[in-house]
Amino acid sequence: MYKMEPQFLLAKAKDEEIATKGECGGAVSALFKYLLDQELVDGVLTLTRGDDVYDGIPTLLETSDDIIETCGSLHCAPTMFGDLISKQLADMRLAVSVKPCDAMAIKELEKRHQIDSDTIYKVGLNCGGTVMPITARKMIEMFYDVDPKEVVAEEIDKGKFIIELSDGTHKAVEIDELEEKGFGRRGNCQRCELKIPRNADLACGNWGAESGWTFIEVVTEKGKELVENARKNGYIVVKTPSDKAIAIREKIEGVMIKLARKFQDKYLEENYPAQDNWDEYWNRCIKCYACRDVCPLCFCKECDLEKEFYADENEIAPDPLTFQGVRLSHMSFSCVNCGQCEDVCPMEIPLARIYHRMQKKYRDETGFIAGVSEELPPLYSPEKG
Amino acid sequence: MLKIAHTICPSCSVGCGVNLIIKNQEAVGTYPYKRHPINQGKNCKKGRDSFHLLNENRLKTPLIKKGGLEQVSWEEALDTASSQMKSYTPNEIGIITSGNCTNQEYETLKKIAESLGVENIGYNAGAFPSFDFETATLDEVENSSTILILGDVLKENPLLGRRVILAHEKGAKIISVDLVQKTLTGINSDEYIQIGSMSEFSEIGKTILPKLNESSTVLIENLEPIEEFENILKIFQESDAKILPVMEECNSRGAMNHLPALSKNDLKELLEKVKLLYVVGDDPASYQIESLKNLNFIITEGCFVNETALMSDVVLPGSCWAEKSGSFTSTTGETQNISKIVEAPGDARDDVSIMIELAEKIGLEL
Repeated sequence: MYKMEPQFLLAKAKDEEIATKGECGGAVSALFKYLLDQELVDGVLTLTRGDDVYDGIPTLLETSDDIIETCGSLHCAPTMFGDLISKQLADMRLAVSVKPCDAMAIKELEKRHQIDSDTIYKVGLNCGGTVMPITARKMIEMFYDVDPKEVVAEEIDKGKFIIELSDGTHKAVEIDELEEKGFGRRGNCQRCELKIPRNADLACGNWGAESGWTFIEVVTEKGKELVENARKNGYIVVKTPSDKAIAIREKIEGVMIKLARKFQDKYLEENYPAQDNWDEYWNRCIKCYACRDVCPLCFCKECDLEKEFYADENEIAPDPLTFQGVRLSHMSFSCVNCGQCEDVCPMEIPLARIYHRMQKKYRDETGFIAGVSEELPPLYSPEKG
Repeated sequence: MLKIAHTICPSCSVGCGVNLIIKNQEAVGTYPYKRHPINQGKNCKKGRDSFHLLNENRLKTPLIKKGGLEQVSWEEALDTASSQMKSYTPNEIGIITSGNCTNQEYETLKKIAESLGVENIGYNAGAFPSFDFETATLDEVENSSTILILGDVLKENPLLGRRVILAHEKGAKIISVDLVQKTLTGINSDEYIQIGSMSEFSEIGKTILPKLNESSTVLIENLEPIEEFENILKIFQESDAKILPVMEECNSRGAMNHLPALSKNDLKELLEKVKLLYVVGDDPASYQIESLKNLNFIITEGCFVNETALMSDVVLPGSCWAEKSGSFTSTTGETQNISKIVEAPGDARDDVSIMIELAEKIGLEL
């Protein structure tokens, strides 16, 4: 008889269809199915594939019949669930599949009472990073010499971005090579140190897992109960991973964190934009508030940025001190480096670089890690929220 | 209960993709559509706010003027509209629209006009007359060596402005021209030239001309009056530069492909010539209120409560962009499909269906 003692386990779906169609034995899908079937949640928020493999769409499932649609990996979908939950789904009991950045955003929102931690199951997915869809299409044309339309599936494994074509063949290119040429994962993902979301209830993935199984790290009591009950109710089967499997997983994580730190040094220090570059960037700003509006952590109903005394009547581009500066002073300590602000900036301002750099310095000084630490940032203003 | 669905932004002619967040059948927000090749999930404020169009200021029931405007059944509204249309000669009927309708609506309108024998038809063309040359693509803008910009593209059409920024980062020379002292595009250009009037631009254009070659693009955003376009076009067509007129509305280019382009003067003339006006998705009261007052009968089909609707004799409530299927053609000439995502409010109906039913009642074969 299996006991819930170990922190690590291997799991897969008992349902044959989910086990075959799902990633790594479909354990995550099976957990969602269990939660919906038992009416422990009202909905499951996850990604489904839209028009093609480059198109991931946040989808709310309210019955377990649709679970099968959500199976399969989508690395070209740099989505953010944090504010989607706090703004649109706060009144639901929810289970959500989260990348580490989603989990970080949710954690900060929980601390700010924008998401109720009691009504949400966070099933974390290990993440080596995501690729912008259009970047992915371009690099598949250039480096793989393949029409992006021909790609039916993709995966990231052993440092390679691997594509599967409609004729069943595979092609792989080293991510290092892609990134050296300005392609590959988003800049934020390259710099991200949180690869295994230990800020969720469970952290699931294929690292260290044998084929057809999901490696799960149980993080919280809630996560522990979920796995235990899903097993008892016949939704998943579990077994204990070997010491070797645990070691492999640890090694992969270690390598990726080391690489992320290298990228942090490169992009936040060595190649960090000079003052002149920033002047140029701020000059482009159209004050569209896209950075603020997409920021999962910005939730104030009344925003200081819209206060009249900060705006100059004849300004063409906003004064960086009273616009970006004010936003930076409010948010940079809490920045989880999700990169959404930079993703959506119409004027290509590398905003996340400055935020990530500030949070990193703050973290070095105070020990506060946005999205991971249990408390609020020490300088958190009581005015906000 | 919650759905995220792809659509095309209705705010300008660049053709950006945007995702709508639909909660309980109502659009409550937008979400980045990163898969879209034009804007990759980036939208300007207008684009992100576009969902409000679906929920505000909508026409929800057919109306007929009986003293004031009164709610009536579709049957009554269409009967009245069709019998009025039948009672005028083709020369006495005018049909005008805007650049905000779908290509399918323009096709249907065109068929109705042809079948009725109505020649007074066209769309409110704003700054651009009809043209017929190959325009620059967005990728060509991004890969230009020199970009000449007339108007404030960065501010007015930020996702086209983004291509200018990207070109600049790759080393392109940016020259911009406008009527005011300082513009956002100007402060982000290598060279900014302020002119006193558009006619001066023709002169300046000649000095810039030698700097342009086949890897240059000319973006024309701000143009007044419409007649200047021909002059400017003549100048730049002498160079090998690619030209991109930045049209105003989301489907102005589609409208141009189907219907005559009407300048302010053309519209005024048309309105003064006809007795019955059938307006689809436009608000002529906002630019020609005096001429409208002299009309005998106005039929308005559209989705918003506007001045024209309020002074109409029959109002046919149509659908807003995310409530119908069809296509928009962007200013670069790319046709993109849109699908119905939400239901139109109240008794409002799909516009093509309204047109077809009206045509049937008139007794037309389309």
